[in-house]
Amino acid sequence: MPDHLLEISDLHVTLEGEGAEILRGVDLTVGSSEIHALMGPNGSGKSTLAKVIAGHPAYQVTRGEILLNGESVLELEPNERSRAGIFMAFQYPAEIPGVTIANFLRASLNARREDDDEIDVFAFHQLLQEKMALLEVDPDFSARYVNDGFSGGEKKRNEILQMAVLEPQLAVLDETDSGLDIDALRIVSNGVNTLAEADEKLGVLLITHYKRILQYIKPDHVHVLIRGRVAESGGADLADHLEEHGYDWLKEETEAVPAGGA
Amino acid sequence: MGNGATSVKIDATAGGAVRVDDPERALAAINGLNEPETLRQARRLALERFRKLPMPSRKSEEWRYTDIANLRLEDFEPAIPGLDGDRPKGSEPGGLDELESVPEPVREVLARSRERSGVWVQVDGVTVYHRLDDDLAERGVVFASISTVARERPDLLEKYLFTSPIPEMEEKLWAAHVALLSEGFVLHVPRGVRLPTPIHTFRCITKPGTLVSTHSLVAVEEGGEATCIDEFMSPDLPETSINLAGAELFGGPEATLHYIALQRFGTGVKHFGLQHVTSQRDSRLAGVNISLGGDLSRADVTSHLEGSGSESEMLALWFGDRTQHFDHHTLQHHAAPSAHSDLLYKGALTDSAHSVFRGLIRVEPEGQLTDAYQTNRNLILSEKASARALPNLEIKADDVRCSHGATVGQVDSNQLFYLMSRGLSRRQAERLLVFGFFDEVLGRIPLEGVRDRIREAIETKIGISTSSLTSA
Repeated sequence: MPDHLLEISDLHVTLEGEGAEILRGVDLTVGSSEIHALMGPNGSGKSTLAKVIAGHPAYQVTRGEILLNGESVLELEPNERSRAGIFMAFQYPAEIPGVTIANFLRASLNARREDDDEIDVFAFHQLLQEKMALLEVDPDFSARYVNDGFSGGEKKRNEILQMAVLEPQLAVLDETDSGLDIDALRIVSNGVNTLAEADEKLGVLLITHYKRILQYIKPDHVHVLIRGRVAESGGADLADHLEEHGYDWLKEETEAVPAGGA
Repeated sequence: MGNGATSVKIDATAGGAVRVDDPERALAAINGLNEPETLRQARRLALERFRKLPMPSRKSEEWRYTDIANLRLEDFEPAIPGLDGDRPKGSEPGGLDELESVPEPVREVLARSRERSGVWVQVDGVTVYHRLDDDLAERGVVFASISTVARERPDLLEKYLFTSPIPEMEEKLWAAHVALLSEGFVLHVPRGVRLPTPIHTFRCITKPGTLVSTHSLVAVEEGGEATCIDEFMSPDLPETSINLAGAELFGGPEATLHYIALQRFGTGVKHFGLQHVTSQRDSRLAGVNISLGGDLSRADVTSHLEGSGSESEMLALWFGDRTQHFDHHTLQHHAAPSAHSDLLYKGALTDSAHSVFRGLIRVEPEGQLTDAYQTNRNLILSEKASARALPNLEIKADDVRCSHGATVGQVDSNQLFYLMSRGLSRRQAERLLVFGFFDEVLGRIPLEGVRDRIREAIETKIGISTSSLTSA
């Protein structure tokens, strides 16, 4: 097992068909069993980074590399990245009326198996019930249509449930705390912690604007993204520092750095 | 065909097979058929009409986007076994497995569920099996081949068979349908009788180059209730065969009838569904068309709301791939006050498949307080696929509520990315979205068993498995 679960180096990204860089040389490494928080002001490129890791087709990588377990994922489709072990919890999960969570998850599991080796309906049912029990989700939840008419909290719980069923190696949680009240935040955070405990190798990249969620999910490392670059990295105490001083001191520092390349 | 017990060889001197390309020989052949005179008479009249009428051309609005002008029905071998009545009834379950004449795919479907009141199976125009629950027969329900009913209950045919008003656009095909009728069934539900489970019929075509004409006559009298599934199937055929499927559905006062046509032919079949629904006072009729197979599949669905307070629900789903062509043509005809019709047709297309929806709500001056809705939605999965939607209103009453709407759209890229990010391939994700898109219609089909059967058929066609799974 390589030390580096996720290794991002000198990553430059533009929106497909546009010139302006959103990410301007990101370096970031997440090891197995590590929880990393990626913080930063609005518009710094946090969510872009999450989507690029997951393979969103709207973005183009113009330079740099993303390795998962030492292998490049840049040429992989989003589904291939998922099967390789990457999971992104969406900030704004899509609503899929007419498709139940159960059917969606079963299709997702079957997609990572051979055509003639579909998961047994009852085995799946049992797995799903276990995971829902683990996350203290109502057993009827999986019969609902995917995110259709869900509250913000329900949508995020659905993301965590999917993560529990798909058992990724790397979980990228994109602003999972946004739009949640304190109860929902606690529930979702507990879910992430439960899964991290259940799979001690799980690597987590937690993207957030606020320190609030870090009271529930304790990061090993904290990074700050400013204008498309990691401007500062440190331990959990960096988050406290940001809480007190905001991001401005870092912005000033990055201004001093001459705009590179492109 | 099976053991051929129902097949009547037509004496060569009597003119051979009923071929419409040679009118005199055809007439002679009709006269030589071993069947009741009422049917022979209907054939003769229809044959005459067929000869006078031109094939529909693209010059008419109703056929503008489906070109059959060069389809020569004359070139196909009509499957006319001669309607000499039903064979002795088998008993099912148990006996069915031993009935070699029932094709394997039919047995497979029947084996999945036992929830039905009766079964009727037709192969290449020949009735090979039929059964009705004894207690329903005792309560006066008639469910048998047309030729049997012609002998045993001629009054029913007199009252209902071939009585629906046929719109001009459909006359030629209807004439061929009647003149070349292979066989059909009659389901008659007497006053106040309710069928607890569906009637399930199967039409199988196994031969290339044939023309099969089949008919469904369903009449539910006052306060009665029935559900009927007509399932059409064939293997992929190396050459074209034609299926002319007429349906006449009658709902008496306060009757309830659900009718489902599940068309899952293989390649090579050109299917023409000619459905006519007539609703009397306070009746509730639902007609569902699921179109999955064939090269060309046209459904003309006419709903006549003739009684006040009647309700007509019209649902359809189609999924087209390869170069399949689907054409759904509907009329919601409001000829009585306070009637309600609600149409929801949804289609999804991929590869180079095409579809046409043309729907008309017509409200006569008598149709005050009409509630009529018409919605057609299309989901396009590939660049070469296309859907055309032509909704129309024609309103001659002044106090009505009518709406119509149609959309043609593509898969939402956010939904697609979301599904793919969980491991589904693009194709799998698209297919799952199609399933979600169809759910709105499936959800309105009342019986769970029927819903499951349709879902299975759709899953087979679009190549995903979601087999129903509840969390409880």
